[in-house]
Amino acid sequence: MHVYIYDEYLNKSKYNRAINRLEIRLTDLGLNGKIIRLGGIKNIKGTIQNEIKLGAKTIIAVGNNQTINKIIGAVIDTEIYSDFQKKTLLGLIPVGNDNSIATSFGINNIDDACNILLARRVEKIDLGLIGNYYFLNQASIQSLGTILHIDDYSLEIMEKGEVRIINLLSDIRETIKSNPHDGKLDILIRTRKRDESLITVKKIKVSNPQEKLIIDDVIEIETPVEIGIMRDKVNVIVGKGRLFD
Amino acid sequence: MFSKENKLEKFKDAETIIGASIKVKGNFQGQGNIIIEGTLEGSLKTEANLFIGDKAKVVANIESKDAIINGEVKGNIKIHGYLALGGSAKIYGDIQYTELSIEKGALINGQFLVLSESDKRKDNKKSDDRVDEVEK
Repeated sequence: MHVYIYDEYLNKSKYNRAINRLEIRLTDLGLNGKIIRLGGIKNIKGTIQNEIKLGAKTIIAVGNNQTINKIIGAVIDTEIYSDFQKKTLLGLIPVGNDNSIATSFGINNIDDACNILLARRVEKIDLGLIGNYYFLNQASIQSLGTILHIDDYSLEIMEKGEVRIINLLSDIRETIKSNPHDGKLDILIRTRKRDESLITVKKIKVSNPQEKLIIDDVIEIETPVEIGIMRDKVNVIVGKGRLFD
Repeated sequence: MFSKENKLEKFKDAETIIGASIKVKGNFQGQGNIIIEGTLEGSLKTEANLFIGDKAKVVANIESKDAIINGEVKGNIKIHGYLALGGSAKIYGDIQYTELSIEKGALINGQFLVLSESDKRKDNKKSDDRVDEVEK
């Protein structure tokens, strides 16, 4: 059974046409399911986990990066699964802006998303973990003044620029290779002086008293924080044009 | 000589790149190729190859399989394979190597020791110690 989670912002009239088109397409493809609208729901995790207990096989986030961020915790919590119950799959239907996560999975628009849901190509993806927050793509912070603590050493960045802690790339133009199945994070540091640094780690501590860490372009948190990775934590329905092998 | 092709061929898929704006402190250990263009203090070890750029400053003991060094190193160097010192290299420490080439202009202040010889000395010392124990 499919359960579609509509983000609150989709209630705005400018998205009516897109949502109508989506629902017609899903009906045509035989992919109808239950719709849950996030606006007004206080316990999002509880609501989704209830659907999983009732047998939902696929939870589909209809919205953007923020939508996925709101629901991912509920989908990966294995305590709610009964014995022999297969893990629920995560699907994505991008609507509006800030959809880098969907792009990473080769899902570029509503029509793509519906066809990809039908094809049901599944990949196990690592999940980044920062305290109580999860991230699929990356966490980023301004580089000047940032200190990274890794194993037995630390890195200090002396120039302005950006530090990106990457699980899954979201930009097709990016030259580095990032693998969301390897249980590792890629740390990419680019400064305004155009020099580039690259390190691969399993966990890292980030601190910067002046700047905040931004998770998947949607959440800002204070540092210091410890960032780790959970291997093959979430099963995602992906497209052929995904940005990884 | 140290052509760009030599550098690129070995380090195309470097696992770790430390850029010029980065300062590393501590014991840095890796398994893949490492490129250092910035500053490192502590120790540096990899099972693969190491490239130290001409503006890099390393204050550490270094150990790797092969290495190309063009920058400044204050510390002892142990290269199990081939070591190439470029014309801008400044080394303040002892160097252990199997194969070596040095470009004109390199500054070296330390002792050279062929790794296979030092290994032999260590082996001889160990066997001497064992003989002494047996005789006692």
